[in-house]
Amino acid sequence: MSAQANEADPGRWSRRLGGGWILLLLIALMVTFSLLRPHAFPSVYNLMTLAVDAAILLVLALGQTFVIITAGIDLSVGSVLVFASVIGARVMLAIGGASGGSFGTTDASWGVVALGTVAAILAGMLWGAVNGVLVAVARIPALIVTLGSMGMALGFAQIVTGGLDVRAVPELLVDHVGTGTIFGIPVLILIAVIVTVLVAVLLHLTRFGSRTFAIGSSAEAARRAGIPVQWQTVQIYTLAGALAGLGGVMALARFSTTTIGGHTADNLTTISAVVLGGTSLFGGVGSIAGTVIGVFIPIVLLNGFVIIGIPPFWQTVTMGAVLVLAVYIDQLKRRARQRS
Amino acid sequence: MFARAITMIGLLVGSTAQGTAAFAADHSVALVLGVNGSPFYEALACGASDEAKKLGLTLNVSAPSQFAADQQVPVVDAVTARHPAVAVIVPTDSQALVAPMRALAKSGVDVVTADQTLNDTSFLKAQIETDNLLGGKLAADEMNTLLHGKGSVLVITQPPGSTAQDERTAGFVTELKTFPGIHYLGAQYQSDDPQKAAEIVTSSLSAHSDLAGIFSTNDQGAIGAITGLRQAGAGKRVKLIAYDAATPEVSAFKNGTIAALIAQNPKQEGEVAMEVAAKLIAGKKVAPTVYSDIAVIHDGDNAKADAFAYKADCSL
Repeated sequence: MSAQANEADPGRWSRRLGGGWILLLLIALMVTFSLLRPHAFPSVYNLMTLAVDAAILLVLALGQTFVIITAGIDLSVGSVLVFASVIGARVMLAIGGASGGSFGTTDASWGVVALGTVAAILAGMLWGAVNGVLVAVARIPALIVTLGSMGMALGFAQIVTGGLDVRAVPELLVDHVGTGTIFGIPVLILIAVIVTVLVAVLLHLTRFGSRTFAIGSSAEAARRAGIPVQWQTVQIYTLAGALAGLGGVMALARFSTTTIGGHTADNLTTISAVVLGGTSLFGGVGSIAGTVIGVFIPIVLLNGFVIIGIPPFWQTVTMGAVLVLAVYIDQLKRRARQRS
Repeated sequence: MFARAITMIGLLVGSTAQGTAAFAADHSVALVLGVNGSPFYEALACGASDEAKKLGLTLNVSAPSQFAADQQVPVVDAVTARHPAVAVIVPTDSQALVAPMRALAKSGVDVVTADQTLNDTSFLKAQIETDNLLGGKLAADEMNTLLHGKGSVLVITQPPGSTAQDERTAGFVTELKTFPGIHYLGAQYQSDDPQKAAEIVTSSLSAHSDLAGIFSTNDQGAIGAITGLRQAGAGKRVKLIAYDAATPEVSAFKNGTIAALIAQNPKQEGEVAMEVAAKLIAGKKVAPTVYSDIAVIHDGDNAKADAFAYKADCSL
C-alpha cells in the first residue's frame, strides 16, 4: 500500500485477498482432493485436522507478514519458537506440582500454565527485540541478523535443557489446549483465529499498520514524513518474536513435549506462505488474508497427497514447483494490472 | 524417471476411476516412515511393499521430509483421514506422536509401530522393533575388542528424543563402563546431517589426541564420520563402529574405514510389519512385540556386509 493509493483502486481489495489467484488455487486443490477422495478428504475430521496443522505455522506466519512488509525477513522464527517453548516448559515445571495422571505430564494449575505462557511470550519478545535493534539501530541486514539469532536461540535452548527435551508438561495444557475443543472446535484453531483477527486489525486498520506499509514502501520517505522508523522496526520484530513465543506454547500443548529437534523448516515454510499470499519480498505490499491462504496451500497439498497415496518424493517436488509457479503467475497478474 | 512419472499419472487417473470404491478399505495398509529418502527406511518400505503384494494388501507409503515430530504429525493426521485398515508408523518422537497416534487408533484403525516406539503403548496392536539396547551393547563389546581395552571413545548420535537412537547410546555406554581401560568422551549430536558429524569428528581429533574409537548410532552420522576421518587422515588410527548397513557404509566397511557394522534388517522389518498387518486384518492374534534381526559384521566379513546392505531395489 503506497501512500498515494487511491481508495477506489480495485487492485487494493484483490491485493488484500492475496491477489485472488492464490485463493482460487487453494479452492481448486481442495475441490480436486475432495473429488478424488470424497470420503476421506472433505470429512469434518480432516478439515479440522488441516486447520490444527496450520494453526502454529499461521501464528508464526502472521509475524513474518509484518516483517516482510517492511522488506525485512525473519529466519529465526522456528528457533525462537523452540527457545520460548523450552523456557515456558521449564517455568511450568519449576513451579508446577507432582506428576500428572498420564505419562509425561504434571498436575500444574491454570495459574502455572498462564505464568509459563507469559514467560514463553516474553522469551520470544526478547529475541524479537534483539533482532529489531540489530536491524534498525545497528543497520545489519535482516537476513544476517535473523540467521545469527536462529542459531543463537536454538543453541541457548539446547544449553538450557542440556539437549534433552522437557518431557513434563502440565496435563491441563495438553488436554484442554493441545487436544481440547470448545463447542467442537479445537482450541488451537480458536487461538489462531483470534490472533489472526487481532493482527489483521492491527495491520489494516491502525496507524501501526499503515506505518508498517510506509516503511516497506520507502524507509527514507517514511523517515521524512516523521515516522519513527527505528522504533517502529524494533516493535515489528518484537511482535514477530512474541507470536513465535505464543507458537512455542501452542507447540508445547500440541506435542506435549518440547521439540528441540524440530521446527528447522518453519522459517522457510512461513516465508513461502507469506509470499504465496501476495506479500512482496521487496516490502510495502501485503495482507493477512493472503498469508492465511498461503499457509494452507502446502498443508492441503501434503494432506491430499498422503490421502491419495502419491509417493513422498513427488510431494517434495510438487511443493517446490507450486511455490514458484504460484508466485510467477501472481507476478504476471500484477504486471497486467500495472499496465492497465 | 519417466516411467515413474507415467506410473504416477496412472496412479492419479486410476484413483479417479476408482472414485468411491477406494473407501472399501479392508485390505489397505498405510506405512508412515520416519523420514523421506533414508536408505534404512527405503529398504523397510521395499520389504513391506514386496510382502504386501504377496499377501494381497494395498500399501500406501508416506513420510515427512525431516525426521522431526512437527513434520510427521500432519502426515499421521492425513493417514487418520484416509482411514486404512492398519497403519504401521515409525514414530519420530516417543512423546509428541502419542496424541495423534492415539487419535488414529480411536478412529478404528489398528496401529502398529515399527523401528521406534512410544512412551504410551496402551493403544498399540503390536510393536516391531530391533533390540536397540542390545545393539549398543554389542557395539561396545566390539569396540573393546578392537581397541584391546584401551583408549578414548566418542559417540555420535541424534539429539535426544528418538527412543531407538537413545537406547543404542544407553546400551553402548552401560556396557562401556565395564571396561576400565576405555575412557568415554560423551555423546555429540547431529540431526541427520553428515556435514555436522564430519565437523564433530575433526574437532574431537584436535581436542583428544588419544581418540581411538567412534560409535555412530546411524548411517548419516557414520557417513559424516568417515568424511571427517578421511579429512584428518586418521582413518586407520581411529576405529569407527557404525549402526546400520547403508550402501556408503558397506563400501567404507569394505575399504576398511569402518571397522565393524551393527546391522539391522529393515527389509525383514517391513516384511514382518505386513505379516502383522495381514494378521490384524484377518482378526488373528499377534504378539505384542516382534523383534527383527540384529547382526554384528566383523572386519573382513564382506559377504555378510553385502547380505545385510540396505537396498531399495523395488518400485514403490
